[in-house]
Amino acid sequence: MRAIPLKSLASLAVLGLLATGCGQGLLGGGDSGDQAAKKDGPILLGMLIPQSGSEAAIGPYMSNAAQLAVDEINAKGGVLGRQLELKTADDACDAQSAAAGANKLVTEEVDLSVGGYCSGATLPTLPIFGKANIPMIIPAANSQELVDQKLKHVFLINGTGSQQAMAAEKWITKQGAKSVALMHDNTSYSKDIAVRTQTLLEVPGGAEPVITEAVTPKESDYSANITNVLDKKPDFVYWTGYFQEGGLIARQLRQAGYKGSIMVGDGSVSPKLMEIAGAEAAEGVYATMTQTPDTLEGAEGWIAAYKKKYNADPGPYSNQAYDAVRLAAEAVTKAGGTDGAKVIAALEAIDGFPMFSGPLKFTPEHTLASGGFQILVVKGDKFALQDALK
Amino acid sequence: MTQLVWNGLFVGSFYALVALGYSMVYGIIKLLNFAHGDLYMLGAFVGFAILGAVGGVSPSMALPLLLVVLLATMVVTGLAGVALERIAYRPLRRAPRLSLLITAVGASFALEYGMRAVAGADPQVYPVRLGGTAMEVLGARLTLQQLVLMGVAVVLMIALNLLVTRTREGRAMRAIALDPRTSALMGINVNSVISRTFFVGSALAGAAGVMAGAYYGKIDFMMGFLIGLKAFTAAVIGGIGNIPGTMLGGLLLGLLESFGTYWLGGEWRDVFAFGVLILFLTVRPTGLLGERVTERV
Repeated sequence: MRAIPLKSLASLAVLGLLATGCGQGLLGGGDSGDQAAKKDGPILLGMLIPQSGSEAAIGPYMSNAAQLAVDEINAKGGVLGRQLELKTADDACDAQSAAAGANKLVTEEVDLSVGGYCSGATLPTLPIFGKANIPMIIPAANSQELVDQKLKHVFLINGTGSQQAMAAEKWITKQGAKSVALMHDNTSYSKDIAVRTQTLLEVPGGAEPVITEAVTPKESDYSANITNVLDKKPDFVYWTGYFQEGGLIARQLRQAGYKGSIMVGDGSVSPKLMEIAGAEAAEGVYATMTQTPDTLEGAEGWIAAYKKKYNADPGPYSNQAYDAVRLAAEAVTKAGGTDGAKVIAALEAIDGFPMFSGPLKFTPEHTLASGGFQILVVKGDKFALQDALK
Repeated sequence: MTQLVWNGLFVGSFYALVALGYSMVYGIIKLLNFAHGDLYMLGAFVGFAILGAVGGVSPSMALPLLLVVLLATMVVTGLAGVALERIAYRPLRRAPRLSLLITAVGASFALEYGMRAVAGADPQVYPVRLGGTAMEVLGARLTLQQLVLMGVAVVLMIALNLLVTRTREGRAMRAIALDPRTSALMGINVNSVISRTFFVGSALAGAAGVMAGAYYGKIDFMMGFLIGLKAFTAAVIGGIGNIPGTMLGGLLLGLLESFGTYWLGGEWRDVFAFGVLILFLTVRPTGLLGERVTERV
C-alpha cells in the first residue's frame, strides 16, 4: 500500500520537472539577458549514472573520472575561455529514474550529456535530450538499440558488437588460425557477435569459419555441442556468451582433448571464468574486451592522477567517462560554442582525436570507426593485456 | 558415433537419477513434485558446504572423500525431502490435485530463492574437482572419473530397484501406489511409508547434485530448474511411476539430446528433445514401460 503514494509522488515530481522544463523553454526565448549571462558562465556537462540500485558501484568510477577530466581542462584555462562544470544525476540503472534524471538535467540547462551506463536506462533518455537539442556522448552503454534509431545527437564511444567482432577477426587472422568454430548462447547479444565474426571471416583467404554452434545457457554438460565442434577439427574456438558457460566450455573443450586456441567475449571476462574452468584449462584463454584501467597501455600517469585525487583505483568505464568529457570539450572548441547542431557537426567531423581506445573517428552510425576492443589473455588468476590491436 | 553414445549415456544417467525421485513420488501419491529439481540443487550446495568445512585435501583423497560427502548429502537432502512432504504436501493430500501442483511450484520457488538468499546469486565453484585425463575406448574419449560417477549412479539405481521389488518396504510402497485406503486397512502406516519414499527419492536427487557439482564444478541456485524439467521429460518418456522405465527414459533422453545436437545443431536440440516428449504424450501417454492405469473410482 505504501508504494502508491510514493509512486504518485514520483510522478508528480516528474511532472513538476517537465513543467519547469517547458516553462523555461517558453520564457527562455525572450530573455536575452539570461542568455548573455549563460554565454560567459560555465559550460554544463550532464552525466546520468547509476548512484543507487544494483549497479551503484559503477557510478563513482565514472563521475570521479569525469570530474578529473573537468578539473584538468579547467586548470588549462577551460574551453573557449569558459569553465566546465559537471552535473550528475542518478539513473539507478532503471528506465523511469533515468527519464526523471534526464529531465532534471535538461531543466538545469546542461549543454552536453556525457553519461549513460545501463543501455536499458539510457534508451528512454535519448528523446528527452534530443528534444532539448543536447548532444549525447555515451561513454559506456553500448546496445545496438541505441544506434538503431539513427538519432543525430547520439554518439557511442564504447565498443559495440560489430567492433567486438572486428577485433576478434583481427586477432584470429593475426594468430594464423585456419579453421574457426564460433559458439554462442542464442541470446541476441552473443549471437550478434558470433554471426558478425562469422561474416567477417567468410572473406576468402585466411581463417575459415567451420561451424557456428548454439548452446543452451545455464546447463552443466556441453559435451554434445563440443563433440559437434571438434568434429569439424577447428584450431580456434571463439565463445561469445557469458562466463558461467564460458568456464565450463573451456574446461570441457580441454577435457575432450582440444589443443587449439580458445577465445571468449567480453561477457566472459570475470575471475569466475578461471575458477569454473580450473587454472589449467583457463591458462592462455584469450578474450576480446573493452579497455579497463588495468589493461590500458601508457596510462600509468593517468591512473596515478586519479589515485592521488580520490585515494582509490579507477574502475570499469573510468577511462571512457574521462574520454567522454575530453571529447565534449574538443567538440565545443571546434564548434566555437555550445549550439547543439554545431557540436554534432563538430563531433561528426572529428578525425584522429586521441583517446584510450585509439584515435577517434565516428562511423555514419555514430559508433567508433575502429578500436574500442583489445585482446586479453589469462595469466594465472587474472586477465592481462595481450594485444591492444592499435 | 561411440562418442555421441557415451555423451548421451553419461548425461542420461544424471537425468535418470533425478527422474527416479520424480517417478517414485508420482507413483505413490500422484503428485508432480516440481520442487524435485531443487532438491538436486540443494544437494549440490550441501555437498559444497561440507567440502568447504572439511578444508583442503590431497588429490589422491578426493574420490574417497567425495563418496563420504555423497552419503552425508544424501541423508541431508533426504531429510529435506521428508520435511517438504510433511510441511507442504501432507496437509493438502485430500485437496484437489491442482492445489498440490501449485504448492509444488511454490515449494520450488521457495527453495530456489531461499538458496539465493543464503548463498548469493553468484555461481559457486566446488573446491574438489573430478577432472582426470581422458582415455580412448572404442573411439570415444572418457575419463575414469566419468566411469566412477556412472558406476555410482548404476549402483544407486540397482539398490533402489531391489528396495522396491524385494523388500517389505517396497511392497508397502507398491501397495499404497495401488490403493492407499485399502493399504491403510491392511495395517500399513501410509504416512510413514510416503515419508520414506520422499526420503529415498530426494536422497537420489541430492546424490546427483553432488556428483554434478564435483564433475562440472559450477553450481548456482537455479541449476535445478532445467534438470527438473529434463527429469520430468525422462520420466514421461520411460513411463512415470515405473522405475525401470524411468531409468530407461533418462538414458534415452540423454541419447536423444546427444544425437539431436549432432543431427540438427545445438540450437535445435531442445526442440528435438521436447518434441519427442510431446510425441510420447500424444501417442503413448503411459511411456515406454508404463502400464495403462485403470480409472479408479
